[in-house]
Amino acid sequence: DQVLHIVPETFQQVQHLQLLCSTLLLDLWKPLLPEYIRVEEDLHIRVPAPLVQEVKDSLDQHMISYRYSLVLIPNVQQLVDQSMPRERSSHRQVREGYVYTKYHPMEEIYQWMTEIQKNNSELVTQHILGKTFENRTMYYLKISQPSNKPKKIIWMDCGIHAREWISPAFCQWFVKEILQNYKSDAKIRRFLQNLDLYVLPVLNIDGYIYSWEKERLWRKNRSPYMNGACYGTDLNRNFNSSWGSIGVSFNCSSDVFCGRGPESEPETRAVAQFIEGKKKDIVCYLTVHSYGQFILTPYGSTTKPPSNNEELMKVANKAAVALKGKYGTSYKVGSTALILYSNSGSSRDWAHMIGIPLSYTFELRDNGTYGFLLPPDQIQPTCEETM
Amino acid sequence: RAMEQRPSPVPLSRAAAAALGYLRYRRGGPGRALELRELRRARREDISGVGHKYYLELELEDVLDKGRAVTCSAEVLYHLGSKDSAPDVEFTLEGELQSTEEADNVFYSRMRSLEKELEAQNIPDSHGHVPPELEPIHRLAGVAGGYVTWQNSRENTHFHLAQVKHVKQVKRTDEFLQFDYVVLLHEMVSQ
Repeated sequence: DQVLHIVPETFQQVQHLQLLCSTLLLDLWKPLLPEYIRVEEDLHIRVPAPLVQEVKDSLDQHMISYRYSLVLIPNVQQLVDQSMPRERSSHRQVREGYVYTKYHPMEEIYQWMTEIQKNNSELVTQHILGKTFENRTMYYLKISQPSNKPKKIIWMDCGIHAREWISPAFCQWFVKEILQNYKSDAKIRRFLQNLDLYVLPVLNIDGYIYSWEKERLWRKNRSPYMNGACYGTDLNRNFNSSWGSIGVSFNCSSDVFCGRGPESEPETRAVAQFIEGKKKDIVCYLTVHSYGQFILTPYGSTTKPPSNNEELMKVANKAAVALKGKYGTSYKVGSTALILYSNSGSSRDWAHMIGIPLSYTFELRDNGTYGFLLPPDQIQPTCEETM
Repeated sequence: RAMEQRPSPVPLSRAAAAALGYLRYRRGGPGRALELRELRRARREDISGVGHKYYLELELEDVLDKGRAVTCSAEVLYHLGSKDSAPDVEFTLEGELQSTEEADNVFYSRMRSLEKELEAQNIPDSHGHVPPELEPIHRLAGVAGGYVTWQNSRENTHFHLAQVKHVKQVKRTDEFLQFDYVVLLHEMVSQ
């Protein structure tokens, strides 16, 4: 396979390229759709090996010049094995030897947070957000470069749904990447000059532990209803955003049970109270889920677009393009109600409704092949492309 | 007759999931598991008095022949007002799928040579691992899972096979192999 890099020079060239891409069903990496091909803007097309000659002949015929590069190995397993030889400890591991390419139980994540703060105390502080139903402490990490000036905030939470293990794995990876590359990467330093990062590695701690110890595909939290006859509220249906209106169940045994009322769950309240308190300074709210490979914008409860939809979509599309450029993974971009399903009471919708302009749900790999049971050898590529 | 309501737009990927289930049922086996790489093209046609028909262009891959993309055209028809019947699915594959004759024979001989009937659970395990010797059993589960998801697919469902909870080989006196599966299906829309 090859990736062709083309900069169309005339409108006729754009039209021909659009026709070529649609007819041959070519995989567009940038832009994502033929209708966005523009004169004097980069065009990247992945062409499967058997079609390369045909496509190049067609471009030559129309006097369209191109560069080409070979595609990264589609077999990601090979790629990961190559970059992580088993014997030698990978340079990607942080000094204390924490293995980011496997899944960790909650005890180890708690220890990790303590270590991370200890080893990066100039940048990282650990704070209590609240307590879960089963009385476990919820901690978030604040990554902040000391400075006189007030900074805007980006908030990211992972693990609101217990079974989505790749999500907490990503939060841990993200923290590690920022801290490991802070000194050497000017982009990260510039980023942190103006922004503070708040990361909540596991929101639904009780559920996460339950998925390790009892039921791998558990989704909700662990608060009991009906005298213990039934357990768990879907925390992502429990926020005060059109709560209970659509895409939920009022039956506790459902996986989308929205709780007794909005913010009925201690985990929800802990997050909501904190974000409400800081909302003037939060510019971006990110919540990380799996699976499906989506970047989802508000709303889930209505197809009516949010007021800043254009900006939301523009930023999300840029992210999807950058993500795809790493290993060719396709992410779909759009509002939850339009491209996934209807739901209400989601944290992302609530964050936007209280005024946080850039609010996104990430649904990480994969597309259903492994679903929630994503093997750990996909942790590294998933995290690398998402960063 | 009541006025026909304008249906709200539904993601076209749901019909692709139904088609994939049917495809796995018809073409899968211990030596072949089909995955959906991309939904290339999709459109919906409302046929009054009949139902909603989806025309799909899918890019598939055989997990044992990963380098090659297989193009598939499929039509999925959800019958009007039918809550209890599976959609009709028709498909055409461009080109031939890799032959599974050798893989199937190896699987068959291996199963026949077992001293005790095979029994296993949680495939993949919590960490997404499938032991290599259970891979054909996992692929075979995809066939059964495909049938079940196709049969239960409606316009507002999106099924995936989440995990094989339990599989037990059934002892037989003839030359057939029989397996009883308990599978977990993830339905994305109602989660």
